[in-house]
Amino acid sequence: MSGYLESQLIILCLNVIYAYGIFLPAASGQLNLGAAGFITIGAYASAWFNASGVPMYLAIPAAMVFAATIGFVIAFPILRTRGVYMVLATFAFAEVVAGLIINLEFLGAAAGYPVDSHADYLVVVPVTILVVLLCFFLMSTRLGLAMRSIHDDEAVATLFGVDVRLAKVAAFTLGAALMSLGGALYAHHYNYIETQTFNVLVSIYILLYVLLGGTQTAWGPLIGAAFFTIVPEALRQIATASGQAWIAESRFIFFGAIIVLMMVFRPEGLVTRTLIDRIAMPFGGRSGPARAAGAV
Amino acid sequence: MADDVLSIEGLHKSFGGLKVIDDVGFAVKRGSRTALIGPNGAGKTTIFNLLTGVYPVDGGTMVLDGRDITHVPAKDRVIFGMSRSFQNIRLMPHLSTVENVMLGQHARARRLGDLLYPLGFRPRNRWATAAKEALEEAGLETYPGQVVANLPYGVQKRIEVVRAMVSQPRLLLLDEPAAGLNQVEAQQLLALLEKVSESGVTLLVVEHDMHFVHNLCDHVAVLNFGKKIFEGTPAEVNDDPLVREAYLGSDTSMAGRGAAEGAADAS
Amino acid sequence: MDLSQLPQQIVNGLMLGGVYVMVAVAFTLIIGMLNFLNFTVPALFMLASVLMWAILEGHGIALDLTATAVLLVLAMMAADRLQHAELPAPVKSGAALGLAAGALLIFWQIIASKPGDEVFAWLDAATGKGGRWVVGIFVALFTVSVLSLLIERFTYRYMKAKYGDATEHALPLVSSLGFLIVIEHTVISTWGSDALTTASPFGNASFEVGPVLFSVPQLLSLILSLAIVFGLSVMLKTTKLGRALRSIAERPDTAPLMGVEVGRIVPVVYVITGLLCAIAGILFTINYTTVDAYVGDTVATVAIAGMVLGGLGNVWGAIVGALFIGMVEVMSIYMVGATFKKIPIWGLLLLILIVRPTGLFGHTAIGKGKF
Repeated sequence: MSGYLESQLIILCLNVIYAYGIFLPAASGQLNLGAAGFITIGAYASAWFNASGVPMYLAIPAAMVFAATIGFVIAFPILRTRGVYMVLATFAFAEVVAGLIINLEFLGAAAGYPVDSHADYLVVVPVTILVVLLCFFLMSTRLGLAMRSIHDDEAVATLFGVDVRLAKVAAFTLGAALMSLGGALYAHHYNYIETQTFNVLVSIYILLYVLLGGTQTAWGPLIGAAFFTIVPEALRQIATASGQAWIAESRFIFFGAIIVLMMVFRPEGLVTRTLIDRIAMPFGGRSGPARAAGAV
Repeated sequence: MADDVLSIEGLHKSFGGLKVIDDVGFAVKRGSRTALIGPNGAGKTTIFNLLTGVYPVDGGTMVLDGRDITHVPAKDRVIFGMSRSFQNIRLMPHLSTVENVMLGQHARARRLGDLLYPLGFRPRNRWATAAKEALEEAGLETYPGQVVANLPYGVQKRIEVVRAMVSQPRLLLLDEPAAGLNQVEAQQLLALLEKVSESGVTLLVVEHDMHFVHNLCDHVAVLNFGKKIFEGTPAEVNDDPLVREAYLGSDTSMAGRGAAEGAADAS
Repeated sequence: MDLSQLPQQIVNGLMLGGVYVMVAVAFTLIIGMLNFLNFTVPALFMLASVLMWAILEGHGIALDLTATAVLLVLAMMAADRLQHAELPAPVKSGAALGLAAGALLIFWQIIASKPGDEVFAWLDAATGKGGRWVVGIFVALFTVSVLSLLIERFTYRYMKAKYGDATEHALPLVSSLGFLIVIEHTVISTWGSDALTTASPFGNASFEVGPVLFSVPQLLSLILSLAIVFGLSVMLKTTKLGRALRSIAERPDTAPLMGVEVGRIVPVVYVITGLLCAIAGILFTINYTTVDAYVGDTVATVAIAGMVLGGLGNVWGAIVGALFIGMVEVMSIYMVGATFKKIPIWGLLLLILIVRPTGLFGHTAIGKGKF
C-alpha cells in the first residue's frame, strides 16, 4: 500500500473509532463534547504502560480499562447535567485533562511524549473493523433499543422498566473506552503525542461527524466520519492536481457551509432510519420478519 | 381485600402549594373495567403519574396486587404488573412499530443476557416474533417495520395499547384512549380493549367520552378538584347531583357535555 | 513568591477579565433568551478584531469581504421577501435563481477588481492614516452585526425540533459550529493562521498609582465594557424592548400570545450579541495589538467559563464571573505558571456545573435541560 493511501486510511480509521465513541452516548441522547479528553487519556495511558515495559497488545487494553474507569466515575456527576450543561461539563472535563497532563513531568509535560511500540495499518484497520461490528451489534441488542428509546423519550422508557441511568452510564463508559482505544492507536501509530494535538477543535469535529452522520442508526458515525474525512482530502487532491490552490484554501469554508445547509435540509443527519429502511426495502410497503426486526 | 388489584388510600399531592390530589382513595376490583372521570384539572392524569412513579407522592399508600408500591422506583413498578398508555401519544418516533412493542417487553428482559440479546441480527428471534404476534392479535400486522411517526393517529393509539400489554400487566392504565379518534377508530379501539379485558387484565381508564365509558366500563370513580366525589356504576353517575354540579353546575346531560369536552381536554 | 507584585497582578486580572466581560454577556444573552449555546460568538469576536487589524494595516480585501457579507445578507432578505410574496411558483424560483446569479456576479466582480485597495488609497490621501480608525470601527461593528443577522436565519429559525427529543436540540448548536468554521477559515485563507500585529495608537500610555501600573487603553476598555453592559441591563429592565426580550426568555411559548412579535425581536437579540462581540473584538485589537484566526476560541472558551460561573442567562452574573475568571487566570499564572492555568479555570467550571449548575448567584437558570 502506498504511503499516502496508508496515512489517509489510518486517519479515516481513527476518526471512525472516535466517532463511535461519541455516537454511543449520542444515540441515547447525550452530547459529549469531551472527546479530546478521553483520547488524550487513552493515548498517554497506553504510551506510559508501554514505556513501563508492558507490551503494546496489553498496554492498549489496559489504557482502555483505565479510561473506561475514569469515564464510569465521572459519568455519574456528568449525567446529572443535561443539554447545554452537559456539553459544557464534558468540554470542561477535556480541558482539565489537557491541563493536568501538560503539568505532569513524567508524561513529558509540554514537550510531548515519545511512544515506543509502533502500530501500523495491519493493527489499526482490523481493530477499526472490530469496533464498527461491535457497535452495530450493540445497537441491535435490547440495550441498544433501550438507548434509542431514551434518546426519544426518557420518561416513557423509564415507565417501561428501562434503567435509564444504567443505560446512559454504560453508553458513556463504553464511549470513553472506544475513544481511548482510538487515542492509544494514534499514540502507537505516530509514536509521539502532545496534548495540543487533542484540542477543543478535535472534540468539536468528532461531535460534528456524529451529528451530521446521524444518531439514529449505527451507520451514522461511519458515514459521517468517512464523508467528512474523505471529501476535504479529496478536495485538496483536486486542488493540487488542477493547480487551483483556492480550492484547497477554501475547502473548510465549503465544509462549514455544508454543515449549515445540512441543518436546514437534513437536520437528522445524512443517514436516517427512514433512509436505511428505503435502501433495505427498495420497493417499499412489503412487510416481513426481516423488516419487522428493523435496521440496526 | 384479596380481589382488589389496586387500592389507593389517603393519596396526597401538591404542586407548589396547590393541592392537586387531596386525600383520594379508591379500589379497583380484579377483572373490572373502572373509569376515572372528572372535569379538566381534576387530577386524573396526576393520579396515573403518581401510580406509575412519574412523581413521588406527598402522602398516602398505593397497593398493587398486595404489594405496597408507594416508594418503589418508577422503573421497577412495571415489573409488579402495571402498565400504561398516554394522553398524548408517546411512542418512540424513531423506532419501528415492532421495536416500540419490543420496548414494552423490557420489563421481562432486564437481565444482562437479555440486554445483550441481538434483536436486530436474527429477524426470527423469539422477542420479535412475540411482538409481531401481539400486533397481529390487535389487527395491526400490516405496519410492523414502519417508523411510527408516519402512521395514522388511531393506529398509533392502538400500538400504545399493544406496547403496554406486552409487559404482561395485571392492571392496564389508559389515559384518554379515545381522545381524538373518529367513530371507526374508537370502535376498533373498543374492540381491542374488550379483548384485553376478557383475557383477564383489569382496566383503569381516564376518559372524557361518556359514550365510550358507558360502552366499556362497569365501574366509575369521579374526581373534582383533587377529591373523589363519587364512586359507583356508570348508570348511577348521571343522576348524582354532586357530579352534575361538578361538571356544569346545571342539569345538562353529562354524556353530551363529556363527549364535547373530550377533544379539547388538556388536564 | 514575590508578594509585592500582588496588587499589580490583581489589576492585571481585572483588566483581562474586562476582555471576557462582553463576550460572556454575549453568550449569556443568547442562552438566556433562546436556550442555545451560540458558538458563533468566538467567530464574531475574532472577525471584529481581525477586521480592525486589517483596516488599520490598510488591507483592502477587508472591505471586499465586508461588501460580500453585506451582499449575502441583502440577498437573504430579498429571498425572504420572495418566499412570502404571492407569486406563482415558477416566477418565484426564477427570481430566486436570478438573485443567486446576480449575487455571484457581483461577488466575482468584487474579488476580481478589489475595490478595497482604491478606497484605502483615497482614504489615506484625504485623512492621513487617522481615517482608518473611524472606518475600522464602523466596518467591524457593521459587518459583525449584519453577519449575526444572517446567523439568526440559520440557527434560531430552524431550532424547532420535529419530535422534541434529546439530540435534535443540538441543531442550532451544530449550525453555529458550521458558521464558526466558515468564518475562521475565511480569515485563515485570507490572512493565514499566524499572528497578525499592528501598532497601538496609544503607544505605551500608562500611569502609576503607588506600585501599580495602569495601562490607559486597558483601563478605558474596562470602563467602556462595564458601561455598555450596564446600559444593556438598564435597557433590559426598563424599555419596552427589554420587557419583550424578558418575556421571550421566560415563556417562549406564550410570549406571542402576549403580543410579543418573536420573529421581530429575536433578530434584535442577535444584533445586540453581534455588537457586543464586535466592540469586544475592536477593544482587543487596540489593547493587545496582536490577533490571529484562533483568538476567538481562546478568549471565548474562558468567557464561557465565566458565564457559567455567574449562572446561565444572568447578565450581572456574567460580568462578575468574567472578572473573576480573569483574576483566576492571572493569579494561577503568577503563582504557579502559564501551563497551569487550565486546571483552576476548567476545574472550577466542572465543579460549578455539577454542584451548582445555576451558578454562584443562585438565580434560576434559564435553559435547563435543552438548547
